[in-house]
Amino acid sequence: MFLAIKEILHNKTRYLLVIFTVFLISYMVFFLTSLAVGLARQNRTAVDQWDAKTVVVSSYANKSLTVSSIPEAKYQKYLTDKDVAPVGQMTVVSQLRNSSNKINTNVFGVDWNDYLSPKLTEGRLPQTNREVVVDDSLKNDDIKLGSQIKINGSDDYYKVVGLTKDNSFFTIPIIFTNMKTFRTLKYGSSQVKNISALVVRNDKKITETGLTQITIKDLINHIPGYTAQVMVFSFMIIAMIVITFLIIGIFMYIITIQKISLYGVMRAQGIRTSKIIESLFYQILILTAAGAALALIFMAITQLFLPKTVPFYSDWLAYLVLTLAIMVMAVLGGSLSIQRVLKIDPLSAIEGE
Amino acid sequence: MSLIEMINVNRQYGSGRTLVEALHPTNFSLNSGEFIGIYGPSGSGKTTFLTILGLLQSPTQGKILVNGKDTTKMNSRTKTDLRFDQFGFVLQASNLIPFLTVKEQFKLVDKLSTSKKEKMNRNTLLHLLDLQSVVNNYPSNLSGGERQRAAIARALYNNPNIILADEPTASLDSSRAQQVVEFLTQIAHESQKGVIMITHDTRLLAATDHVYEMRDGYLNQQR
Repeated sequence: MFLAIKEILHNKTRYLLVIFTVFLISYMVFFLTSLAVGLARQNRTAVDQWDAKTVVVSSYANKSLTVSSIPEAKYQKYLTDKDVAPVGQMTVVSQLRNSSNKINTNVFGVDWNDYLSPKLTEGRLPQTNREVVVDDSLKNDDIKLGSQIKINGSDDYYKVVGLTKDNSFFTIPIIFTNMKTFRTLKYGSSQVKNISALVVRNDKKITETGLTQITIKDLINHIPGYTAQVMVFSFMIIAMIVITFLIIGIFMYIITIQKISLYGVMRAQGIRTSKIIESLFYQILILTAAGAALALIFMAITQLFLPKTVPFYSDWLAYLVLTLAIMVMAVLGGSLSIQRVLKIDPLSAIEGE
Repeated sequence: MSLIEMINVNRQYGSGRTLVEALHPTNFSLNSGEFIGIYGPSGSGKTTFLTILGLLQSPTQGKILVNGKDTTKMNSRTKTDLRFDQFGFVLQASNLIPFLTVKEQFKLVDKLSTSKKEKMNRNTLLHLLDLQSVVNNYPSNLSGGERQRAAIARALYNNPNIILADEPTASLDSSRAQQVVEFLTQIAHESQKGVIMITHDTRLLAATDHVYEMRDGYLNQQR
């Protein structure tokens, strides 16, 4: 550690360049991760809040909540179980009263008395068919407590009486209504008792002709575009981490080659090769940790200035795991130089080569 | 018992028609309190001799005994540890670590040392070699003479029994060179160390106890 720190402090420019490179890579990795997590969360936060195990959807729906519709005859008998709850979903366009701004939203029809009822951060639960609870991200579109909104161009206005947090599906914020309002909006009449899905919180198995019971993971993976988005981001992040391996590897290899004669002197003086390699790895760890720490600071600053509409989520546990991954990759990259260090001939120092 | 002994040691490079005998079969020993000077033309095998003696390269044949122990079968790590513990190298090119100040060169020895052997007094070394005013300087901020003296101080600090000096006065003016040789003589005689000095400057050999000439790979005692 002594040699590693002394050398870094003495050759500040050279090592600042390495730190800056690690910083850029780490910052990109963290930024992409935040976008990936933010986007993934916006796809699924409502489903995550259910805290359920399985979902029953129409068999024809190809595991997609958005196209599933289950008639009353198929689901009514299961509602006696308090861990089984109906949900209705439709994608709509909402509009604030006296505003021309059209906002893509989801309507989730739920029963206010069961466990799918949203957790409120402000306001109260609706008491009439014309009252709704909305996700607080709609504040970005000026929808707040007391706002009047119309849905899908109808003449009816719905009053926002409650706000909830982290409730979006398919990246679109949710408006929670009761089942009656949902059915009126989706089917034009509350007499049509269809729902989109049954959400099951326990291990109950539901086998019904025309229905398919799927896991929450399956449901999320079948959100249109979700898997592709996650894959794209994952590959970009993995590519960046692999680049860390190559860049640190190349940097340290070049620096090692530049120090061959110095290492020769050290070997001639009786300094073990293991000490030299130890110093090399301490340097890598110090440089990588400094670069990653700088990137984390800049991430925190970035977050302050990003528009709220950007799907950005700071997942500090993910940053920690990624920092460790970057450090492991840097160490692996540094190990490319080990062979070169092992071959160092102390004679080169004596002979002045 | 000799501090170090060479028994029938030779060193060959290449093979067949390209075979070069850099060091012909040589017997040599260095005792405590002895200061030996070696001179000879460039390419005569002086450095090969010194590096074999310093366990930096293996002989083609023969044995090197350090404190009576055969080093031929020692592994690289054991030889490295032995070098750190028993040898002090003063090299033609400065053997200082460029990113450590003079003071830190000593600190590194402290940090790496695993033996309980008493070290030389740092302040005495610095005083004797007139380095007190430059202890916080990096090697790049030292003059050639200061660098060489700092390298000598660093080599002696670990209190080695054997000091191998390859052209230690190459970058010094004649009066400073004379001082360094006097210091090495003092170290050999008063501290009972074994000192081998390679030099081109035959005037400096007057202070040594024995003088050898190296020519075409043959080591011949002159005095």
